[in-house]
Amino acid sequence: MSDFHELIKSFPKTREYVRDFFVYGFKTRTEFKHKSPRTYDNERRRLESWLNPFVHKDHLSNGANISLAIDSNLLDTNPLFRVWKTKSFTDNDIVLHFFILDLLQDGDKMTAEEITDDLLTEYEAFFDIQTVRRKCNAYQKEGLLQKQRKGKTVVYSLDTSLAQWLKSNETILDALAFFQLAGSLGMIGNQLTDQLDYQNQTFRVKHSFFVHTLEDEILLDLLNIIHQQKSAALEIKSSKKGVINTTYCVPLQIFISTRSGRRFLCAYIDRSKRFTCFRLDTIKSVTSLEKTEAYEELQTKLNRNRRQLWGVSFQGRERHHLDKLTMTIQVFEPKESYIVDRLRREGRGGTVTKTAPNIYQYEIEVFDCNEMLPWIRTFIGRILSLECSAKSVERRFYEDLQTMYQTYQIEE
Amino acid sequence: MELFSEIYNCYYQVLRHLLCTQTALTKQQIADQICGEGFEESLLSIIPKLENGSWNLFHQDGDLFFSKLTSSFITPISDLQKSYLKALLTDPRMQLFLSQEQLENLQQMLSSVTPLWTQEQFYYYDRFIDGDPYENENYRRNFRTLLTAQKNHQYVDIDYNSPNGNRVHHHYVPARLEYSVKNDKFRVLALKNARDHNMKLEILNISRMQNVSLIEKTLSFEVDFNALIQNSYYREPLKLHIINKRNALERAMLHFANYEKNTTKIDENTYECLIYYNQIMETELLIEVMSFGPMLTVIGNDKFLKSLKARLQRQKKLITNNH
Repeated sequence: MSDFHELIKSFPKTREYVRDFFVYGFKTRTEFKHKSPRTYDNERRRLESWLNPFVHKDHLSNGANISLAIDSNLLDTNPLFRVWKTKSFTDNDIVLHFFILDLLQDGDKMTAEEITDDLLTEYEAFFDIQTVRRKCNAYQKEGLLQKQRKGKTVVYSLDTSLAQWLKSNETILDALAFFQLAGSLGMIGNQLTDQLDYQNQTFRVKHSFFVHTLEDEILLDLLNIIHQQKSAALEIKSSKKGVINTTYCVPLQIFISTRSGRRFLCAYIDRSKRFTCFRLDTIKSVTSLEKTEAYEELQTKLNRNRRQLWGVSFQGRERHHLDKLTMTIQVFEPKESYIVDRLRREGRGGTVTKTAPNIYQYEIEVFDCNEMLPWIRTFIGRILSLECSAKSVERRFYEDLQTMYQTYQIEE
Repeated sequence: MELFSEIYNCYYQVLRHLLCTQTALTKQQIADQICGEGFEESLLSIIPKLENGSWNLFHQDGDLFFSKLTSSFITPISDLQKSYLKALLTDPRMQLFLSQEQLENLQQMLSSVTPLWTQEQFYYYDRFIDGDPYENENYRRNFRTLLTAQKNHQYVDIDYNSPNGNRVHHHYVPARLEYSVKNDKFRVLALKNARDHNMKLEILNISRMQNVSLIEKTLSFEVDFNALIQNSYYREPLKLHIINKRNALERAMLHFANYEKNTTKIDENTYECLIYYNQIMETELLIEVMSFGPMLTVIGNDKFLKSLKARLQRQKKLITNNH
């Protein structure tokens, strides 16, 4: 392992490893069959280095089992943000970063030639002018420097007023402390709190699913494409077979599950004339294509369709346009009236009707009732009947119940 | 606008802190800073670069290192970060933190910036519909008072409508403000004086608070908040067996990703998962486990198993009687 480096050049390969360790957290060296043992060792060593002290090791008969023990109830930030802070760089990169930004701190405007000269006189750092210009242009693209053309001369400057304003306002620092943990693309909020030397010691997030930050680069590309109303080519890896296919679509919206943290791209596929959702963690790359003329129309159509959407599926297995589900439950009021509240709060627009004392009926029409089963099962212990026009859903509900009775030896 | 860029690298952050120290640093002080902020093996990469001059960022005088930076260095805000801030401005929860004047100032400073996202680009399809009223002035006032108290370890007097309809009045120290993504609600994890001179933890919904006022009294000793939570976990975790059918393994691992858990493979297609939880989480965890149906089998603990069996027993009776 003499060529081991703690930092990495590209993110996608590492994303897979971190996900495997985090999500499954029980794969030993021998179970990573698709990678060489050396690759596994290096990736594991990096992960241990980045995420120590969250790495948990168990020694089993078939090798060491490493996993990430992360309890979101106990953390002020997402430990997986550390994975985003591992991009490798050259010696020149880091030296130029500090010296150029330091040189321009007082707001002076300088040419690349002047910067190059001052690097030598002020910091005893010798660089050729091309290297300095390249770095200044790269930083202008990142927004760290401003570039102005004055006649034939190009000058660079730096504006720290926003950073200073943020640093001096504790309330915005509190907001960043909250949003880095609770909001979308929290990694950027976390960079900001790092940069402004502020740490979250106030907020916690319940139902926080840390692993999904690994998809943030894909999310960023998709948001940009949605903003530009363009179509896209997605490289998608099937979660079952592992095969990679390219799909052409119009990205429209990001769907998020608050219960699993899973995120999906909802897109329109012109070839099949259908809306489809793709899990973000299955999207390996995104390529922006041409602008979509009918974008507004597709958005309107999606908004209309969303009313009949339970989760992310636009069609059930029985290929009906819509299926109707009716669940009748027993609720002893007033003691259990929170159950009726749950139906209204969680029922996504379904109607709730009191049909008799202590009996309530919940009714809804959606594209795919199969997606409702996990929620329906949370009412186990109160369900008087379940009827669904998709008979396979009804059947599966009752069959699953029978299996559970057998598993737990539930007698009459 | 790259998310994975060296400008956000952990080494840059460590070096910035070292370089902003205007006094001379010993090698040990540098090493301590790297160990505290860097990765586990960062020390092995950074120290040689500083010593051999590849990163010529310090003057070396004997064993001492002097920063070459001449001013109090501030890293400017990148375009990516500006776009992120602009997107946050459209979030209704931003008003809990910023005054109207601050919102306008920030809006002005970011006037030429395109937000990284807009609210309508996201759709939370299973979020509960009774989220907290972030627009409500009383709610905002209570939130800010709690935030102030939390940061100063100060007691507050909370006038609260309990879920069973009683109005209660107690003194608490807010330990953390907890946000639930699923419920779109804030709760306060609050410490309350218990009879035995200990502190006990209670969870209160901010939206149920009628009034919150600061009291001129602060917590006089440190409370290890995480230890308090961990100590509240049952000694025996929930033990589940997961049969990897219908993609249940991956779904379960993602679903329970927010709990402290430990998973091991016990045979070709079965996995054992231990989940650590406390009394407050119990009902929610039971509901989550039930939502998986027969894909998960609860092996223990006895208390959890008993609750699950009671629900199934009641279910079986209901359907039998109904038919």
